[in-house]
Amino acid sequence: MIDPVIVASTGIALDDFLPIFIYSTLVLVFGGFYVGIYTAVKVKVLKNWTMPLAYVFWLLTSFSLYKMGSLMHINEFTAKALVIAMIGYLLLPHAIYYMQDHVHEENEHEPESI
Amino acid sequence: MAKRSVWSDNRFWQRSAAWVTGFASILLIWLTFDTIPQITMGTDADLKGGVTKRVPGPTVINYKITYEMDAKRMHEIPVIGDKELFFGRDDWSEEEAGALLHLGKLGSQAKNCMDCHTLLGNGAYYAPDLTKAWLDPAWGPEGSMQAMTGKSTKEEAMAEFLQHPSTYPTHARMMPDLGITAEEAKGLVAFLKHMSSIDTNGFPRNFGRMQGAVNGK
Amino acid sequence: MASSLTSESKKLATWYFTFAAIIFGAQLLFGLVAAIQYVVPGFLFELLDFSIARILHINALVVWMVFAMFGSVYWLLPDETGIETVGIGIAKLLYWIFVAAIVVVILVYLFIQVGPADQTTIWFITEGREYLEAPRWADIGIVVVALGFVFNLYATGMKGNRSGIVTVLMADMLAFAGLYLAGMGYTDNISMDQYWWWWVIHLWVEATWEVFVGAIAAYGLITMIGAHRKVVEMWLWIEVAMLFGSGILGIGHHYFWIGTPEYWWEIGALFSALEPLPLVAMFIHVLYDWGKMQGEQEAKGEAKSVITNKPAFTWFVLNAFGNFLGAGIWGFFHTLPQVNLYTHGTQFTSAHGHLAFFGAYATILIGMFYLAVQGKNGIKVMHATKKSIWATSMIVGGVVGMTIALTVAGYVQVLVSRAQMGATWAGFFDGQSGMWFAQGMDWRLVMGVITFLGFLILVVDLLSIGKNAKHER
Repeated sequence: MIDPVIVASTGIALDDFLPIFIYSTLVLVFGGFYVGIYTAVKVKVLKNWTMPLAYVFWLLTSFSLYKMGSLMHINEFTAKALVIAMIGYLLLPHAIYYMQDHVHEENEHEPESI
Repeated sequence: MAKRSVWSDNRFWQRSAAWVTGFASILLIWLTFDTIPQITMGTDADLKGGVTKRVPGPTVINYKITYEMDAKRMHEIPVIGDKELFFGRDDWSEEEAGALLHLGKLGSQAKNCMDCHTLLGNGAYYAPDLTKAWLDPAWGPEGSMQAMTGKSTKEEAMAEFLQHPSTYPTHARMMPDLGITAEEAKGLVAFLKHMSSIDTNGFPRNFGRMQGAVNGK
Repeated sequence: MASSLTSESKKLATWYFTFAAIIFGAQLLFGLVAAIQYVVPGFLFELLDFSIARILHINALVVWMVFAMFGSVYWLLPDETGIETVGIGIAKLLYWIFVAAIVVVILVYLFIQVGPADQTTIWFITEGREYLEAPRWADIGIVVVALGFVFNLYATGMKGNRSGIVTVLMADMLAFAGLYLAGMGYTDNISMDQYWWWWVIHLWVEATWEVFVGAIAAYGLITMIGAHRKVVEMWLWIEVAMLFGSGILGIGHHYFWIGTPEYWWEIGALFSALEPLPLVAMFIHVLYDWGKMQGEQEAKGEAKSVITNKPAFTWFVLNAFGNFLGAGIWGFFHTLPQVNLYTHGTQFTSAHGHLAFFGAYATILIGMFYLAVQGKNGIKVMHATKKSIWATSMIVGGVVGMTIALTVAGYVQVLVSRAQMGATWAGFFDGQSGMWFAQGMDWRLVMGVITFLGFLILVVDLLSIGKNAKHER
């Protein structure tokens, strides 16, 4: 006999598939808004006051990922991997901007050599 | 010229890229060395001695195969049980079974099976997944395929269907006649039976079990 | 047509692009046949069955992309190295060998289709392994041609000015050619077979091809908006690190269910979660550079656009976005093993495949076609025509429409065939008969037709845009 608890702890409930797909899509959609707004503010396409919105989207991304993970019954290792991915995601645009800005600044003070 | 930061130094990033790529490649090669022995086909001696292999030897066709929930691993795994007749015999030698499997695997490629079906979930999505096709209730005593093909065993029903697929339509979408000979069909069925014995970490889940089959009895 | 190309390498590139565009058309045509067969199963039954239509559909996909990739390299080599490509005679000879081999392979697929279950079939008709169906004689031919191409690239890179872009391409193309060898063997063990098969498929598509796209995007940013080489090349190295860092071990997500050990679940999950990051990064990078360059231009008091090739740049931007959408979003939502157990081998995979190949590769290669048209006609600033806008909208709309239709169909399949019925024969057809599934397939066909019409307009535009008087010469 199969222990019903075991089945329940690994399988995905039928009603959970749609929310899982929606949440996992939202992870990247919100994630896209986060980096999109951040980038737009930095290149001055958007006004500075919109920056907090970017971080709100990062929070929404994290929330979606959390919901997705819990509906999927992910194991501990995967949960840790996802937390690391989220922190990485938070830092990523900052790192990119920092480096881009740095190189551009150095470039503007030296003749372009190709 | 102002002092340069390491973060905006091309050489630093070039080296990082080389190191990251090298490290990932070495890790993949190391994991490959670990995986290859685990997916190497077992032998007849393994089967006789009850040694569980992720990919059993070709003589697995002499045994009954079932797909059981494993409480420890929390998913289904193939279980190799008692002896079972395959085309009237349960004493296929290692050479004979190997030759049959060889014919079947070659046949699966020569007929482009993978461009309609999925094997181990990979291929095209036009026709059913064949990973555990051998265990499909449709071919069992309770299923419709044995009566339809007029055969009394699963393997004969499958072989008959493979030779004349468009004679036995099961759906508006039919399998075409691919010129499969009787011998090739036998090989293909052996290939399917062997594939069903591969430990696929529980894929596909909840695959329809054969009636009354528990622990390979 | 009068050509303003003086470089032999660039002329050869236009040959490559021309053949690529023809095969691209063949890909769409056979895709339509397969799509019709989902809706009308009797269509061309036992004449040109689904399996054959699909082989041609996916093989043509790979072939046109490889041709366009080789073409792109021959196109940019003179610009990047400052010299003519070394061994251009050999390169031209190899081109004709390659074209001849492809034509023979296609004719054999079409008219011989299948063979007896022995090695002669593997050598001369089909290897029957998805994407790598090309018979072994053609495999050997492809390796020879690829080695010749790599030789041209290395000889030119070492003789001329070896820029960062060329360095990345040299490393990447060697890996690209070498990995093909992993797909040439034969084994009776299906698990072993698929283990090595993925080395070619995954390490091409999710590693070496992505890096190739990074290099081409870098070249495009420099040539089209005048981005600073140092910035672009630094960024390219970061992309290489991120793409290979996540992509190489991302192969784990193909090793969940093929008989390989369970530890691949964790490896696959971890690196798959990281795989969208470089795609996001590539996207931001394009926008940063574009914003920066336009800003510099405006600071000089000039309001006009920095873009020297509007249609090509549009396709490059679509690439940055499409890569993120197709490979990123559509890849991510079925990549974790807990969900992949149910989605593996369903129309979800197909939806992801369509959007990812299009978004990540087709877009940027079409962009390269436009760059070649610009160069060939000696145009300084090339504007979009009505036709280019129509072609772009219809192709993008068509592919996105197909992807959504297939996703809906895949969702039905996951619920009915997989979660409820456990993937049996009966379960499979129950899923396929569902109303939503059938509707999904109808819409996929409609969207496929739109894509194909868009492609026809694209061809007309590529042939005529160069003569348009509105460009600055």
